Amino acid sequence: MELLRFDDVSFRYHSLNGETLAVSHLSFSVKVGEFVAIVGPSGCGKTTILSLIAGLLSPSEGKIHRADEKYGYMLQRDELFPWRTVLKNILLPLEIERKLTKENREHCISLANKYGLKDFLDKYPDQLSGGLRQRAALIRTLSTRPDLLLLDEPFSALDYQTRLNVCEDVSSIIREEKKTAVLITHDLSEGISVADKILVLTARPASLKAEHVVPFTERSPLKRRNLQEFPHLFDLLWRELNE
Amino acid sequence: MNLSKEQTLFLKKQKRTTYLTHAVRIGVLVLLLGIWEIAADLSWVNPFITSSPSRIFRCTCDLAKNGNLLYHVGTTLWETLTGFALAVLLGFILALLLWWSDFFRRIAEPYLIVLNALPKIALGPLIIIWCGTGSRAIVLMTVLVSLIVAVMNLANGFLATDAGKIKLLESMRATKAQILFKLVFPSSLPSVFSMLKLCVGMAWIGSVMGEYMVSKAGLGYLIVYGGQVFKLDLVMSATVLLCLLAGIMYALVALLEKILVKRY
Repeated sequence: MELLRFDDVSFRYHSLNGETLAVSHLSFSVKVGEFVAIVGPSGCGKTTILSLIAGLLSPSEGKIHRADEKYGYMLQRDELFPWRTVLKNILLPLEIERKLTKENREHCISLANKYGLKDFLDKYPDQLSGGLRQRAALIRTLSTRPDLLLLDEPFSALDYQTRLNVCEDVSSIIREEKKTAVLITHDLSEGISVADKILVLTARPASLKAEHVVPFTERSPLKRRNLQEFPHLFDLLWRELNE
Repeated sequence: MNLSKEQTLFLKKQKRTTYLTHAVRIGVLVLLLGIWEIAADLSWVNPFITSSPSRIFRCTCDLAKNGNLLYHVGTTLWETLTGFALAVLLGFILALLLWWSDFFRRIAEPYLIVLNALPKIALGPLIIIWCGTGSRAIVLMTVLVSLIVAVMNLANGFLATDAGKIKLLESMRATKAQILFKLVFPSSLPSVFSMLKLCVGMAWIGSVMGEYMVSKAGLGYLIVYGGQVFKLDLVMSATVLLCLLAGIMYALVALLEKILVKRY
């Protein structure tokens, strides 16, 4: 079943200096439970695509079909509010949607406990490591039980070591909760290590250059990096990006 | 808790530096007052013009005895606090409008810049004609002097709200009011306090300026009166009282900040 489909979508930004075509005739679809990575040269309009999916922007041409409106957005930085405890941060989306019922609250607490934040719920974000902060940000994203997760380079602000760990962490949580996810990244190996499907974009204006189904049954990003086929896929994508 | 020898030594050294700072601060004050007193006593300078710490003390005691001290201090304090409160309140409302509406901000910008640059004392005659020569004129002057500073500082604080956090809330489909209450207000708490601290200073400038212009009572009035009749003891006493009051008011704001602003 398709959760999301782009039909020939184009988008233009308007400013006093003129208009910029950011996305050009883009078509793709995301199936339920699929983990899709979108890779492309930096500045090609990847974030614009996420904003279009989220409905923060409307397409200039073409149509976006969504099976469900419920999505959660995860940004580059964790954006935890320093004056709120970790628990209060996790509950923020429910507060905004005015759905802070006892049941939803308990759902959040059980998610947090399940993923190792139990001892940190009453702490403040500045008392957490970078990895734990990003995990708290993911639990916050999951708090409203979204069907589709939009990940906007959520690991790029972390140092390399933390980055691999958090990527492993986040990807296993998303798999375990059986969520559909769209990840945008400029890091090819990151894309290959987590995704079921990879969309390769051209330089601005972004359009679809190639679509690859990742053939691995292995789910762990770290283990995938050791597979024999990993470098082949990397090479293929690398060449496509640089053409 | 068991501290290592090195840590104990370090803490001791830090403590000593703190004590030394306080001691030298007080020492400098005592030294300056002492030199001033001796210079006046031995007639190195003319105490009629320079006054002296003991004369200032006596003059303040005299004022306290005949009951005028509280009256003058009370008058100025009331004017300053009323002006301060009004300026902060109005400043908050205007800053909110500036944050809320881009359109309003664009319209208001040139007016704010001109009003900020205008020396408020130039409005003196107008204020007297509109408000008379009572406390109202002085409070108005206090508000005028503090208001623009309050608005500009607060608005800058509101507008400096982290764009990533705004995007996060927008992705949750938060309304503008929700963004204001959940994010903008709490994240601007530090700028609210830096605005309050600035406004303490501005409010005292405003009220004393107002009293120079029109007044029958207050510390500013005592200074002007003392100057006219050449009672420099009175001028100095009122000045010292102003220093104390402004200092205390600033310290109270700083204390409140310490209690409220913890995690930023």
